[in-house]
Amino acid sequence: LSKCVVTCFQEYTLSEYLRMSGIYWGLTVMDLMGQLQRMNRQEIIDFIKACQHECGGISASIGHDPHLLYTLSAVQILCLYDSLDAIDVEKVVDYVKGLQQEDGSFAGDKWGEIDTRFSFCAVATLALLGKMDTINVDKAVEFVLSCMNFDGGFGCRPGSESHAGQIYCCTGFLSLTGQLHQLNADLLGWWLCERQLPSGGLNGRPEKLPDVCYSWWVLASLKIIGRIHWIDKAKLRRFILACQDEETGGFADRPGDMVDPFHTLFGVAGLSLLGDEQIKAVNPVLCMPEDVLQRIGLQPDLLS
Amino acid sequence: QHGRVKVKTTAQQEEEKRKEREKKLQIYVAARDACFTKRKDGVFDDEALQLTQQLLSSNPDFATLWNYRREILLHLETVRNQDEVQKIYEAELSFLESCLKVNPKSYGSWHHRGWVSARLPRPDWARELSLCDRCLSLDDRNFHCWDYRRMVVKMSGVPVKQELDFTDRLIGSNFSNYSSWHYRSTLLPLLHPQAPDTPSQCGNPPPSASPQTHFHRVCEEQLLKEYELVQNAFFTDPNDQSAWFYYRWLLGRAERDEMISCVYVSREEERVAVAFSRPVNAQSVGLLLILDGQPQRVEWQSVHPHFKNSPVWICSLPPGTISDVANEHNLTVHWTEKHSHRDCALYTGRSESWCRDTATDLELFRSELSVEKTSVLQSELQSVRQLQELEPLNKWCLLTIILLMRALDPLGYEKETLAHFQTLKDVDSMRSAYYSDLCSKFMIENTILKMEYAEVRVFSISDRKLTTLCHLDQLLLVTHINLSSNQLQQLPPQFAMLQCLEVRIGTLFFLLFFINLNSEISTLADLQPLASCPKLKRLDLRGNPITQTTNAEAELAGLLPSVTDLLL
Ligand SMILES: [Zn+2]
Repeated sequence: LSKCVVTCFQEYTLSEYLRMSGIYWGLTVMDLMGQLQRMNRQEIIDFIKACQHECGGISASIGHDPHLLYTLSAVQILCLYDSLDAIDVEKVVDYVKGLQQEDGSFAGDKWGEIDTRFSFCAVATLALLGKMDTINVDKAVEFVLSCMNFDGGFGCRPGSESHAGQIYCCTGFLSLTGQLHQLNADLLGWWLCERQLPSGGLNGRPEKLPDVCYSWWVLASLKIIGRIHWIDKAKLRRFILACQDEETGGFADRPGDMVDPFHTLFGVAGLSLLGDEQIKAVNPVLCMPEDVLQRIGLQPDLLS
Repeated sequence: QHGRVKVKTTAQQEEEKRKEREKKLQIYVAARDACFTKRKDGVFDDEALQLTQQLLSSNPDFATLWNYRREILLHLETVRNQDEVQKIYEAELSFLESCLKVNPKSYGSWHHRGWVSARLPRPDWARELSLCDRCLSLDDRNFHCWDYRRMVVKMSGVPVKQELDFTDRLIGSNFSNYSSWHYRSTLLPLLHPQAPDTPSQCGNPPPSASPQTHFHRVCEEQLLKEYELVQNAFFTDPNDQSAWFYYRWLLGRAERDEMISCVYVSREEERVAVAFSRPVNAQSVGLLLILDGQPQRVEWQSVHPHFKNSPVWICSLPPGTISDVANEHNLTVHWTEKHSHRDCALYTGRSESWCRDTATDLELFRSELSVEKTSVLQSELQSVRQLQELEPLNKWCLLTIILLMRALDPLGYEKETLAHFQTLKDVDSMRSAYYSDLCSKFMIENTILKMEYAEVRVFSISDRKLTTLCHLDQLLLVTHINLSSNQLQQLPPQFAMLQCLEVRIGTLFFLLFFINLNSEISTLADLQPLASCPKLKRLDLRGNPITQTTNAEAELAGLLPSVTDLLL
């Protein structure tokens, strides 16, 4: 498995526009497998330092523009390495704060794209930095709740269709802001457990194909709302394992497809949530090892 | 990274591929470096537009390049006249159209299109709407396109009716279209809202429709038409989940009004418990307690430290204020934020008192359709039953029958409901835990209804295969609870809402393997919620594994000191 992560790190020119997230995916897999020491810590920390911009935001790679997505990934990596002091944390906080809009939503960067994913990135970053009180949390919650749909799920913006990735972001957001009681957990849980297909894998929306990454988003959301037992765990486990490539050890979206670090992380994290004892316990809200969050003293709410 | 099939290749093929990749990569790196250098030098010219165009047409997720393009376009706005700017932006739209043809699911391309459309000196929204039509005809589930369409509709003021007609057309050509049903769920309440004072009448659409209004209910007249449409859908394809999800929503009820549903006062303990219609944080919503005309300075506490938001809150009164049984007292609790309040009188000689709306008063567990339309629900039930005769093992059909039965007469249909749940668990075993929990919820609702019709404070639900406990906020006044012979694995912390509980009997861990590494301690810890029931005196745990643990009695005495009568 580590072979997969290492090869993925060598061939990454084409994906440099998301490299920071790529590093987070790879390192989190390694940490969950207890292999973090195999990665070059100093090189990675120096890289993150070089990606922080004057405005405080962090970019996917050198020469690229800062964005909330990569700011969160960078902060997550630094938490894995217990090295938050490598960057200017105050400036990160200012950057995140500056992206909150009048209606409580967050733009991904200064160009103004609005998405509930960015609401999650903002509060997750601030929660990891212990600075949640710097934004208008009430307004942020109001916006996310305005994206709730007839099926109890959430989309990108008010009126957008429910989507498992978005639901993960919004349930995670409500967990970090202590507002999980605002969900209709029974209705949402029904929609989520209906994502499981006869193959055992989960899809991200009705009538779509199963996928390892959606399996994680659905599974983590179910865990957050206290209903993980509503799916057939043994069948899901078999599906995820069928997506593992024998040669490299990495995971693909579906059995027989090409592996990548993104699906490798979500495959491994999914197995961890399903109780695999060879893997460290993963936190369903932040997709990071529980022991790292314990060290920080962060314990996001879960419904019982 | 999605859907790329892994193919086995020979070493020679591998080598050829590698060379080809390398060549492509060189071109890519050269173009990228040229872009970055130009940007660093502050160059905003046509060549930069061409370079970024070349890169973005094959790498539309390269967000920084879209940013650079926007900087160039903003610069050109300042140096060209309006007609030229219009042309530049129109060219940008054509370029984007070709990008979207290659990759219709790129966040970057769609966001840029929205940005360009908003900056166009003379926008052509009709063109944008028809682009959406074409794109959705190729993939009617593309949520990027749906979101862009919603933006176009908002910017250009397309009437809601026209959009509803659009979903009619899409659903007409293919019932299995979750995106269209979803869109309808947001449009219908805008076009046919329920009038606020007369729930059965249709109101007028509000002049400006905010996105939040989709929480409002649809008026009944329109609901009936929708039922017909959905029935067409699921009779055509009974296994298509889209229509069934939508139908369950149609059958749902409006959110309850936010109010204080119960005030309870205990003379002996000198405390007040308040129940709300939904979880709140009483410390921040401005809760005011007036005792005999005097505002009291009290500290509101959640029933369990775990809940910052809870439907039940308690407070202690200063010692001596209400302890004398010879005195009568009048309490009022004000929820200032919601202008809601509730009075409660504690008469002479009485040790406790309460004031509340019961679950039966509020028709809490019923469908929200008005009573005269019961006939409508009855005919819905008949149709779905017809379908079930054709499709006896269709899970969607079975679940819908259960829901309709509950909307009509939850107690009268109890037996049939249980039978249908059993079939559901057999035909859809992957989700059997979901059906067990839902069935438990419905059985608890029925037990609450029966308890309230009987006007007693005893909640008894034994041998019902309960897998979960819910609605515990409705049991605030219950003094005796019997949960024996069920399949509960733990007591939820919400159990602390049973503030009046005196006696509890029952086997929790019935016939179930309790998964835990250290079950001795954790089973004891699972009884922790009982420590928050102040009046609990008698506890019967016979039959639970916990009784097998050494020292159970001593440890329980430590955990629950108020229990004087413990049966193990
Ligand atoms: Zn995937």
